[in-house]
Amino acid sequence: MRRMEPRWRGCCKNIPMDSKTKLKKAALSGGTMIGFVLVWQLICSFLRVDPWILPSPVRIAQAMWEDGPRLADQLGFTLRLALEGVALGVAFGVAAALLFHLIPGVRTALAPLVIVTQNVPLIALGPLLIVWFGFGLMPKLILLVLVCFFPVAWSMLAGLGQAEPHLREYMAMIGASRWEVLRRLELPASLPSFFTGLKLTAAYSVSAVIVAEWLGGSDGIGHYLVLKEKGFDTAGVFSAIVCIVALALVFYGAAVWLERLAIRWRPPRAEAKGGQEA
Amino acid sequence: MSGETENAKLELSGISMSYSRGGRRHPALDGVSLRVNEGEFVTLIGPSGSGKSTLFRLIGGVERPDAGSIRFDGRDATGRRGLISYMPQQPSLFPWLSVEANISSALESAGIGKKEAAEQASGWLRRIGLGDAAREYPHVLSGGMQQRVSFLRALLMPRGVMCLDEPFAALDALTRADMQAWLLGIWEAERRSVLFVTHSIEEALTLSDRIYVLSPAPARVLSELTVPFSRPRRADVWKEPEFVLLKERVLALLQKGAEERHAL
Repeated sequence: MRRMEPRWRGCCKNIPMDSKTKLKKAALSGGTMIGFVLVWQLICSFLRVDPWILPSPVRIAQAMWEDGPRLADQLGFTLRLALEGVALGVAFGVAAALLFHLIPGVRTALAPLVIVTQNVPLIALGPLLIVWFGFGLMPKLILLVLVCFFPVAWSMLAGLGQAEPHLREYMAMIGASRWEVLRRLELPASLPSFFTGLKLTAAYSVSAVIVAEWLGGSDGIGHYLVLKEKGFDTAGVFSAIVCIVALALVFYGAAVWLERLAIRWRPPRAEAKGGQEA
Repeated sequence: MSGETENAKLELSGISMSYSRGGRRHPALDGVSLRVNEGEFVTLIGPSGSGKSTLFRLIGGVERPDAGSIRFDGRDATGRRGLISYMPQQPSLFPWLSVEANISSALESAGIGKKEAAEQASGWLRRIGLGDAAREYPHVLSGGMQQRVSFLRALLMPRGVMCLDEPFAALDALTRADMQAWLLGIWEAERRSVLFVTHSIEEALTLSDRIYVLSPAPARVLSELTVPFSRPRRADVWKEPEFVLLKERVLALLQKGAEERHAL
């Protein structure tokens, strides 16, 4: 018995946090990006590509620097709209997942409708929403919610149903109420799935915001993109693209960071896998 | 009989239950009657698939029997939930809660105040030598240590009867022997009413006050025997000559039950 006491201490070492491998991965993906930009620059410089067909990275950087204040303004607007859209979308997504999970009939009844919302093309839906709701914030938010709620709702719904059967059995045996099963078991168990959905939403939301801005209104990177395109300012178009990509990366990174904050335990599936490998 | 039922914490009488699978009825329990007195350690032993887990689900109120009644403290509680605490074969600790929170949150949901639940959990964890692990997640603990936490969770829940469903079956032999000695020590100090399920005759004889031997499915009570060894009991009670005799008797009962079934 005494021999066993310290056994739990050593077990922490089983979780490898190999920072060398991490560094190698970062260097590899970062190197690829730098290489890509370099090749691009070289092609533009040596093949003398017309800047209005394909501007070089240096030229794009110049354009961004010159139009910096305006770009920052537009980026701020887009960022706000994206945050509002994601927040609303996630709220709707979680609400839908809970509703579908707790009342099985609702799921059967509404699932086709939900699938329909995901299959109507944004470029068709956008103008319609503007016809119905005008050029204000409303049609944009509706469009964003429609895009953002789905990944969260669907992955969280799967997560809520996937709580470990033996934990469910334990809860049943000690006489836990439906509410307790939801609060103590299903909600925490669905967190990993929720974050899978959130990461998808974070990645999709930015391009959805761009479509929303592109459709109407007079602000945001999407609007900026339309202006530059109509003016044949290709460097300006690429400036907008750089901002969009950067914003999407930041959103995704934020979702990953939130996930790490929220999930510090080791999910049971990873545990099982680790056991098999060991 | 009436004299015996007076101090019965849990009493099952004439419990029958069958499942329908593939359009056919499969009888699982056939008129099982048993009782756990206040502060008594009672073990059910039987071959695998003899409906012991079904019996537990009925006691837990998760399912209702086809026939028979379940009484807690003399009152009918057939199909009622929330009267037992439970320790299954797998530790079933919540991976997102710390070791301490696993215990304290169970106590809270059983109606104990937040502060008292936390104090009880941390106090007991220190008492069993897991004080340093209280704030860790369960997965850092070995299987045996996780089962100790799971046992503590069942012990501290303010419920009349503890149901332990083959709690040591997944452990290696050495850890299992350790756990038996450990459980014996704690139980003899606390004297809770326990219903314990096991495959192991030695385990049953080492821990219990009384043993019910069950037949293969559909389960009946083949025999009820009182374990004569005194309390406090030593973990090496298996060295007693009488232990071997009792073991042979239980084994013979189980074998006879299996033969009768084949004969059918």
